[in-house]
Amino acid sequence: MVDETKHGIDCTEFEALLSDAMDGDGLSAARKQSFEAHRHVCAVCGPLFADAQAGREWLRSLEAVEPPAHLVHNILVATSGVVSRRTLPTRADGRTTPLGERAREWWDSYAAPVSAFVRQPRFAMSFGMIFFSFSLGLSVAGVKPKDVAKVSLRPAVVRHAYNDAQIKVVQYYDNIRFVYEIESKVRELKRANTPAEPAEQKQNPKNNTSGQPEQRQDRNYSQDYNQPVFAALREAPPAVSTTTNRRSV
Amino acid sequence: MEEAQVVGLLVRRCVGGDAAAWEEIVQRYHRRIYNVCYRFAGDSDNAQDLTQEVFIKMYRTLNTYDSGKGAFMTWVTAITRNLLVDHFRKTKGDRITDSLDSTASEHEDAQPLSERIADGGLAPDAAVQKRETREMVHLALQSLSPELREAVILRDLQDMDYREIATALRVPEGTVKSRINRGRAELARLLQRTYKQVI
Repeated sequence: MVDETKHGIDCTEFEALLSDAMDGDGLSAARKQSFEAHRHVCAVCGPLFADAQAGREWLRSLEAVEPPAHLVHNILVATSGVVSRRTLPTRADGRTTPLGERAREWWDSYAAPVSAFVRQPRFAMSFGMIFFSFSLGLSVAGVKPKDVAKVSLRPAVVRHAYNDAQIKVVQYYDNIRFVYEIESKVRELKRANTPAEPAEQKQNPKNNTSGQPEQRQDRNYSQDYNQPVFAALREAPPAVSTTTNRRSV
Repeated sequence: MEEAQVVGLLVRRCVGGDAAAWEEIVQRYHRRIYNVCYRFAGDSDNAQDLTQEVFIKMYRTLNTYDSGKGAFMTWVTAITRNLLVDHFRKTKGDRITDSLDSTASEHEDAQPLSERIADGGLAPDAAVQKRETREMVHLALQSLSPELREAVILRDLQDMDYREIATALRVPEGTVKSRINRGRAELARLLQRTYKQVI
């Protein structure tokens, strides 16, 4: 703005007085006269006054807007958590609030904060990411939604499925080449570290080809050598004759 | 009992844990705060969220209010203003593309401002024309810078005096007056320019 003094006041002073002049009660009579005179002759301040006045009229044409009815209720829920009946419309006939309405009111007092939290963009984004990751994981694992409906949850079926899965895992593990190599290496090392011992002749009764009978475990250990033996089998059992005497009929 | 005394008593009761006193404060001031937020933010959804945030902040810091430092409404306005400025900074990126050709948010299917001005003369009902004019001014208000916008809202829509506005905005009274003058003039020029474009 050009700082030009006209009729006792310059443009800077004019701007400073503009608000008071428009309010109509901030200037003395002499000051107001100087102000008006400056406004009529100054090419800058005249339009400024006109614009400011027009802008004020535009703004004052705006009316107060009525806030939504549930705003007070929401504020109280979000702050003190105490919701009184004043925030809800009262019934004209003075009857008490119906049970359903009270139940809804009670539910709203708990659900409104949760709903407000859930509606936050960051919550929606996190939930979306979790859902996306979960569905991606399931599709990679080969799980199809229609297969899930066919799954039986009977204990026997579950146990069977568990055993199957366990067998598959063990087989898979054992068949891994790396595991197999490690295991054989460990066996070789064990064998190399073990000192060479004479192989113990373990008598296997099934491999006994000596022809000697097995020692019987049911012999009478209480028998003394001094006791007389009334009857005894010979070492070699008698040959059993296969011929039989048939009675003639 | 004076208004300041009543409010002071309500605040003390509220700090003492009286829920009814807090509800009284909410009932007294929610309309005013909602209007400031609505005129500053431009739409009802944001205004509701911001009003709620103002009251949450108030509820948490009510014990810091000192009646000796100023009126309760001035303190509330300062809180509101700070939250509005924060909101403006957060949504600045979204607002870059806003123009007079955008539509008001609560009437997504409404015509752009320029079209509405062109149709204004054809409106058969004076009430409809008046409503459209108000919407147009409301939209033009969103085009002002936040410093000018808050000053004219507090002065011309909330009828606060210069001293209270200066306290709430934490700027000298002269700066408040200057911002109000510039805000009013800029709004008028903006509306006049839009008129000229469409005629």
